[in-house]
Amino acid sequence: MIRQAFIIARREFLERVRSKWFAIVTILGPIGMIAAVVLPAYLSVRSAQEGFHVQVVDLSGRDVAGMMDIDLDAKGVSFKLENVPPDTPIHVLEERIRVQEIDGYLLFPKDTLAGGEVKYRGDNASNLLVTKGLRSLVDFAVFRARGTEMGLGELQIASLFQKVDFDPKHTTGQGVATSATASFVVGYVVMFVLYIAIFLYGVAVLRSVIQEKNNRVVEIMISSVRPLSLMLGKVIGVGRAGLLQLTLWGLMAALIVGFREEVLGLFGIPGAGTFEMPRIGAYDFAVILIYFFLGYFFYAALFAAIGAMVNSEQEAQQAQTPVMLLLIIPVLCVQIVAGDPRGGIAEVLTQIPFASPVLMPMRYLYDAVSPAEIALSIGILLVSLLGAVVLAAKVYRVGILSYGKKPSLREVWTWIRS
Amino acid sequence: MSAQVSTEHSLQVRGVTKQYGDFVAVGDMSFDTPSGVVYGLLGPNGAGKTTTLRMINNIIMPDSGDILLLGKYQPGPEAAKHIGYLPEERGLYPKMKVRETLRFFGTLRGLGNKPALHQADSWLERLKLSDWRDNNVQDLSKGMQQKVQFAAALIHDPELLILDEPWSGLDPINAEVLKDIVAAQKDAGKTILFSTHLMDQAETLCDYVCIMAKGRKAVEGRLDVLKRETAAEGLLHLALATPDDESRARSEVLASPTVDSVRDENDGMVVQLADGESPDKLLAALVAANIGIRRFELQQASLHQIFVDRVGALADADQEGRLADD
Repeated sequence: MIRQAFIIARREFLERVRSKWFAIVTILGPIGMIAAVVLPAYLSVRSAQEGFHVQVVDLSGRDVAGMMDIDLDAKGVSFKLENVPPDTPIHVLEERIRVQEIDGYLLFPKDTLAGGEVKYRGDNASNLLVTKGLRSLVDFAVFRARGTEMGLGELQIASLFQKVDFDPKHTTGQGVATSATASFVVGYVVMFVLYIAIFLYGVAVLRSVIQEKNNRVVEIMISSVRPLSLMLGKVIGVGRAGLLQLTLWGLMAALIVGFREEVLGLFGIPGAGTFEMPRIGAYDFAVILIYFFLGYFFYAALFAAIGAMVNSEQEAQQAQTPVMLLLIIPVLCVQIVAGDPRGGIAEVLTQIPFASPVLMPMRYLYDAVSPAEIALSIGILLVSLLGAVVLAAKVYRVGILSYGKKPSLREVWTWIRS
Repeated sequence: MSAQVSTEHSLQVRGVTKQYGDFVAVGDMSFDTPSGVVYGLLGPNGAGKTTTLRMINNIIMPDSGDILLLGKYQPGPEAAKHIGYLPEERGLYPKMKVRETLRFFGTLRGLGNKPALHQADSWLERLKLSDWRDNNVQDLSKGMQQKVQFAAALIHDPELLILDEPWSGLDPINAEVLKDIVAAQKDAGKTILFSTHLMDQAETLCDYVCIMAKGRKAVEGRLDVLKRETAAEGLLHLALATPDDESRARSEVLASPTVDSVRDENDGMVVQLADGESPDKLLAALVAANIGIRRFELQQASLHQIFVDRVGALADADQEGRLADD
């Protein structure tokens, strides 16, 4: 039985690995990863170089506009500021925005220093970086004007508003603290890759089952092997292809991260090397792969059972919805886990078998989980996995040959109980 | 590969029943397939042939009854190593190479890797497909795919070959190829069990037949014995030497009460003797009248006739049963 399962697994593996789509997806994956690293950096550098054209109307009478320091760190966004006469009518400014002569205008009211509302209107006000950048420029200008009003000298003002260095890093007391942003990004990327991989390969098993029904090989297969061998063979074979692809991606990702300075340098973006990445060692990678394999196995068994129940991919689209939902729920919970990786909800979520494969590696990468918790979650996942396989095998055994009509839920229930 | 399994019967089916709800697909079916013969499982569509073969191949489980293969196996993966099976719904993996396909099915049914490849190559050569061995199955014509399917069923050199409606969908050339394969397998001492609703194919190939109707066995036995036993009593072909002989025969002999009816056929006539009359008497009368005879032959029952006879009787019985129920 085991031998036959492996013969079937080998066939499934080779059919997948030899297809040109495997090569395309394997290569495109890392290109996507490079794009994810390079594009944001590249775009921010470009727009920063270009700068936004903003006209300033200053009604304060205290030259607040003149105190804006465009050399100030404006969160990576640069502005080209231009003072216009205070009596410039609003509709003229609006017209300039409309014809794209300017990106926006800034309006300091008469009572600016007394707490009056400074207005910005522009076509880029939806950009968080722009509003944050402008805000710090405006804050500083108004504070400076108030300081001058109070009779403070330039030096005193400069000392008052000297930038405070603030260094947030992620740690849970185990291991080295890492850049907060980088930790979040890496945990998130791993979570997302796991979700995509489990999803893609689970559906691949489903399709493989349906195709075998459609091209009628299933009858000769069932006459030669036990249905359980056939199902396990499929799941193992497709999973091996997934594991290979994931490993290749992992290696490429490691290369890209390792050589990120050089990679970014190719695009003319300097200084990326100072970005501190959390280290993912071989041990971490092993944990990620274990969760991939168990999670994939759990879901693939369910997908195989769904495939056995239906006769076409159209039918499958509906029938697979419950399994899809199981897989999507943990992804929707990702903010909870990322926001408070050691919180009670995160602890519970990462023990639930249909959620742990996606969420646990992320918590693990945040150093927010004890070895006992990992052991428990792997144990629960393993037991549920066996349950899922037994359940799926029963549905599979009966469903695989019942082509022609879709079984009712009641029929499926009798299959499971038989 | 597997040791020669010697047994008197390659297949024994005992009281097998399969029901779907109230519908009896196969009811109390029993038959024995002696080793080394060509055995035809015959019957109209819906008679339960495919269901029977699927139970033998462990694709579905009987509700009751026993199936014994090669004297010692229950249906299942172990038995499958000694059985070649060509299902009615045939199919292959379209994106698999031809040689790989054969190796795959060979290893699944118990061959080692190398013997499977060796067998694959020899079958491909025999079926003149060697040039295609590294092509994907989907690149082959339908006829070529059918040949690959034959090879896939035979790659592990099975003792028992089970073919479900093997001639349906075959082009005439492949139909011949399959006939040759069946003949060669029989010569090699293998047992062949096939189902068909085509009586002509069965008549030329079968040593034994089992006729099914409505899920039940109508008749089983050696084809030549059945032919002798069945119907045709008092039916004979008669052809006379000259037109003169013919007209004399019609007026002097065939008009007698010995003969029930006379029907023309393209070469002579078919004579139905009256009940209880023997052919000898008619022959003697013809000879006594000095009529020249070119052909005088007792008609053997054709398989078709046996079929109509037995299945018709079952259908009638069924009809009566239903009337009685009412």
